[in-house]
Amino acid sequence: MAAANSREDWQALAREAARGVDEAPGEEMRQLLVFQVADASYALPVECVREIVRQRATTPIPRAPEDVCGVISLRGEILQVIDLRRRIGLAPCAPTRRARIVVVQAEESGVAGLLVDGVREVLRTGQSSLQLQGGGDGMVAGLVRRGDAFVSLIDLERVLDLHVDA
Amino acid sequence: MATRRPRAKRRSKADREFVSEAEEILDAMRAGVADLGDSLDESRGPDPELVNRLFRAAHSLKALAGMFRFDPIRDLGHRLEDILDGLRLDRVRLDASLCALLEESIATFASLLERVGDVQALGESEPAIADLSRRIAAAAAPPAVEADPLARLSVDASLLRALTEYEEHRLRESVRRGRHIALVDSTFEILSFEEGLSELTGAIREHGELISTLPAPGAAPESQINFSLLVASDLPANDLLAALDFPKASVRSVLAGEPAPRAQLAPAAEPDASAQEPADESQALEPPPGETPGELESLRSISDTVRVDIRKLDELMNLVGELVIARGVLGELTLRLQENAATARVGGELAKLHKALERKLRDLQSAVLDVRMVPLRQVFEKVARVIRRLRRELGRDVRLDLRGADTELDKLIVEALVDPLMHVVRNALDHAIESPEERRAAGKDPEGTLSIEALQRGNHVVIAVRDDGRGIDTRALRTHAEARGLVQAGQVLSERETLELIFEPGLSTRDEVTETSGRGVGMDVVRSNLAALGGVVDVESVPGRGTTITMTVPITLAIIQSLIVGVGERRFAIPLSSVLETLLLPRTAIQRSEGRELIDLRGEPLLLRHLAREFDLAAEPAGESLYVIVLGIGEQRVGLAVDRLFGQQDTVIKPIQGPLGALHGIAGGTDLGDQQPVLVLDASAIVDDATRRREAA
Amino acid sequence: MPRILIVEDSPTMRALLASALEELEGSVKITEAESGFEALRVLPRERWDLIVTDVNMPDINGLELVAFAKGNGSYRHVPLIIVSTEGSERDRAKGLELGADAYLVKPFEPGDLREIAAELLARSRARKT
Repeated sequence: MAAANSREDWQALAREAARGVDEAPGEEMRQLLVFQVADASYALPVECVREIVRQRATTPIPRAPEDVCGVISLRGEILQVIDLRRRIGLAPCAPTRRARIVVVQAEESGVAGLLVDGVREVLRTGQSSLQLQGGGDGMVAGLVRRGDAFVSLIDLERVLDLHVDA
Repeated sequence: MATRRPRAKRRSKADREFVSEAEEILDAMRAGVADLGDSLDESRGPDPELVNRLFRAAHSLKALAGMFRFDPIRDLGHRLEDILDGLRLDRVRLDASLCALLEESIATFASLLERVGDVQALGESEPAIADLSRRIAAAAAPPAVEADPLARLSVDASLLRALTEYEEHRLRESVRRGRHIALVDSTFEILSFEEGLSELTGAIREHGELISTLPAPGAAPESQINFSLLVASDLPANDLLAALDFPKASVRSVLAGEPAPRAQLAPAAEPDASAQEPADESQALEPPPGETPGELESLRSISDTVRVDIRKLDELMNLVGELVIARGVLGELTLRLQENAATARVGGELAKLHKALERKLRDLQSAVLDVRMVPLRQVFEKVARVIRRLRRELGRDVRLDLRGADTELDKLIVEALVDPLMHVVRNALDHAIESPEERRAAGKDPEGTLSIEALQRGNHVVIAVRDDGRGIDTRALRTHAEARGLVQAGQVLSERETLELIFEPGLSTRDEVTETSGRGVGMDVVRSNLAALGGVVDVESVPGRGTTITMTVPITLAIIQSLIVGVGERRFAIPLSSVLETLLLPRTAIQRSEGRELIDLRGEPLLLRHLAREFDLAAEPAGESLYVIVLGIGEQRVGLAVDRLFGQQDTVIKPIQGPLGALHGIAGGTDLGDQQPVLVLDASAIVDDATRRREAA
Repeated sequence: MPRILIVEDSPTMRALLASALEELEGSVKITEAESGFEALRVLPRERWDLIVTDVNMPDINGLELVAFAKGNGSYRHVPLIIVSTEGSERDRAKGLELGADAYLVKPFEPGDLREIAAELLARSRARKT
């Protein structure tokens, strides 16, 4: 029952975050869900995140690209799940108990799951994203400072730009 | 009504209209207030509908006066509306003095109406109105607020401390409204408290409002748990205990309520004032001048049909689907219990229960399916409209013959059928049915006939579109196909195989492109649209006599029987509608011809494919025998070898969501109840691939 | 290994709470209850070292859960953190009055939660030894 409301939960979370910090006038505040992939922090705007679930049994899809670990069943919905580690060019690793599937809703590509190594927090920031000169692995839209570290903003549409090899 | 008009007035037409309407409203209000007075004598609460009607009348009067800019009348109407609203929402109690006040207001209205058109006289009446308004406002004001109503409760402070602000608010509200406040105590076994507690709270909700649920350790804290339930009710504590009829519960009065005037009328309801109150704006937008109480009443008319958003039905369908899955798991567990000697007895009991559940679930399933079923009529009507238009544009004389419009299908399938059906019909009009001259020359009726017939066949609906046109020119079709490299020059094709070429992309039976059929959209789209629905399309054609396109679709997309098969460690579901039979064959039964594998199926050669190879899966080391699923799609048959059969199951096929989009050979996914999704094979794609490879070979 | 019970009806908040607490120094065992009732059922099963609860839940509210735990000999000493959206001073005061050890308002910093949790766990450890 509660699970069905996760989208509302997110909105509530966003509202809470909005209440928590004094609004700096003129700055556009964003809320980012920060999660971990390998030893780095990545983030997505909370608007794209539908819910977060524990990792669960995945059924591989025949002939699908390696980055897609398969499909999961989420309350009867069948969702493709992308291993974010592989997608950003890292070696896959055995699942840990912190591993989560972040269910995202992208404008173009629709709903999908992203397998991450752990979910950290909702970060509220007014910073605009910074660009890394020379570029990264192509899946990152920009960087945001978080304390003394950088968080990489995921380019969701690019992450989801996947096709079955003909 | 007869009114004295002591002063001569020069009323405009608008004024006269206003007065006549306002008088009608006042007449109705006068009668309503008299009824209210009667209900006072009979010591029963006012009829909520009556109060509501009065409220609406006052509102109409206010809106009317506002529109005609009679401010004193509007203001008084506004006051009256306030107090009636209070009465409606139980904020104001009805008594004799209130009735008198209402009567006085109506009399004042009447005298104000007499002065309409006489600005000076209206102005003179203002002090009197102000006085009346003040008295109405005083009557409408809520009773003076007590210091803190909660202080009157004889209850442990720790209980109050555990209330959230909202619960506190509800409690205050109940005290203010004179309800009885009681504390219901009951002890439960910790392992099973939820069942008992929900039974108790259910009973409580029938007789009042459950404000809070405070758990406390029971007498045996390791195994028992006690709940103190704070309840607001119209029943005194003793009556509440009797009404609850819950043996283990005790009830203690925390605060005796005051006799509620409407206790008998609404013992259980806890009217939520804010929810019942219509938004003021929406009312202001519908000023019903001249609306009589009779018309107001008609607003209550109850229709016996309800319009439902199809998405809500989808949700319902999903829930039923999940129940079906849960039922399947329950069935398996039951079977396991029955097989074990130690649990056989309870397993047997459970099996009986499970049977009953299965039956009810099937009823539920078909009831929900039934709600989604709509007749094809709408689609047929759409087709008829298009045909009329095309007839004019193309100058074709075509008689349309529609049959089986009452055949029912799942709403979603009906919607998805519109495009393919329209396409087939346009093709027939555009290409197939000749011009009247041509027809006459061929010795046919100059008026062509297009018939569309729908009929139900088991779990499928067959829709046949038949024309009496020129038929498909298979020679031309073959030439086109060769030109496009779809067929090799010397390749031998049967008549049927040639006809099937119309389903290949980019093939049309005529050279010219017309506005009606367009270019590039062909029968291949019809075929893939139908495949997406789990349906098939077939073609038959006789040169010079006509063509029949037959579309077969399942009645519903919702729940279908599937065969669960295994390859290596993977499981797949195959919709039973595509499975003709299953065979267990020795491996030696596989024969080869031109590098293709085939088996002997009762004297007929059957092409054999291996699921493992189709999907590049690691198959189990070849055993001595193998299972072959005979897939049948339309006229085509292909054998599919798998490692294991797990039996049949109810499956709810869901689309696979994600960036990869449609996956070739996979129709969707399903959850069999163990959280691990199973992919559903697209049998038509597998058969298609196999037969195409045969042609290519 | 310290055992932590999270009581929260929102799956998302539950996931965030669990993620934050999983990163505590040393390993912890986290149990998630998705309602007050479930918490009541789960409570007797283990010797808890920390309870983290939401306030607004459909069956019993977090304050009632605190009242229950703190009024019960078996759980009285288990440190308890209330995490709530309620900015209300009244609820906060009530929670602490009922015996909660800390009150955190959402959105909380995961670091803050960890800090408070670590301190309470240390206290609980000290009491045990």
